[in-house]
Amino acid sequence: MINRLKKFLNDLFSGSEKDDISIGIYGPPNAGKSTLANHISQDLAGEEMSDISEVPHETRAVEKKEKVTIESDDGRTLDLNLLDMPGISTNVDFKDFTEHGIEEDEAKGRAKEATKGIVEAIKYLDDVDACLVIFDSTDDPYTQVNVTIIGNLEAKDIPILVLANKTDLEDADPSRVRDAFPQHPVLEISAKEGENIDKLYQEIVERLG
Amino acid sequence: MADKEEGVTIEFLAKDKLSGDNFEEKLSSVLEKVKDNYVLVLEEGWTPEEKSSLIQASMEEIDDDFPGVEFLGLDSANSRFDKAKELFYNRVLDKEYREGLTIVGNSRVMEKVKEERDTVSFLAKLENEGNK
Repeated sequence: MINRLKKFLNDLFSGSEKDDISIGIYGPPNAGKSTLANHISQDLAGEEMSDISEVPHETRAVEKKEKVTIESDDGRTLDLNLLDMPGISTNVDFKDFTEHGIEEDEAKGRAKEATKGIVEAIKYLDDVDACLVIFDSTDDPYTQVNVTIIGNLEAKDIPILVLANKTDLEDADPSRVRDAFPQHPVLEISAKEGENIDKLYQEIVERLG
Repeated sequence: MADKEEGVTIEFLAKDKLSGDNFEEKLSSVLEKVKDNYVLVLEEGWTPEEKSSLIQASMEEIDDDFPGVEFLGLDSANSRFDKAKELFYNRVLDKEYREGLTIVGNSRVMEKVKEERDTVSFLAKLENEGNK
């Protein structure tokens, strides 16, 4: 399937005058964006790209795996940029970090970085070619922030694949993701356990093309 | 003024009042009041681009005293009929289609309780409770 994904990306690239394509991974904090980004990066480039933590806003700047060069059978190449976005939220309270045992000064610094990261992630909405929007299946996905992310991508006609993540957890309920965004196909995955990642590559090939 | 009393001021703004301002002016005015612990109920829906502008502007204002906003929305324009109405407003009447409701508050005094397509509810926290 990875070979098929590489072929698809190459085909997508061949119809464009651009010399690279960018796929953004969006979603709220702690939805599993970095876990998924690492999985894809490992598959395509042989190495991980982001740090992972239970503390919210661990990714506070756009993490890029740039120019993953993919070569087709006929020798042509394309550069893929995989962008792991900071989780978008409407508020960042330094107390959310101190609750995880982080000292107040460092917590305030992290909060400041997180606000900059969110602004950066919003600005990138203009620059991505396709998006994976990932939600935690144990949380309620119908929030204004999530509606805003999806709505912006729809308004810009950017291809979207919605992912209901963390299906390995007992209280996961992916149907809530489907109910929240009925206009989009939803794929159930566990980025942590690697469940349905092959299916994700297949969906990228079939739906984002 | 709200900050001289214990509690949260909830202000309702009619669409006629809101229609006069351009969005940047409106956003600036909303953030100013929200930072002063108001919860604003606006008789209009906001576009996704406007909502992302709200998030972006909020992030740029965050400091030790202002942790950002909470916002809720009752949006229309989901059905085909609504989409057609929106198109009619935009193309024929040359007006913005703003059916819906937008609620914005300081996240220190406003906590989302429930958000669905047709129902939203929030908890307005008293200042002492909000500053825990």
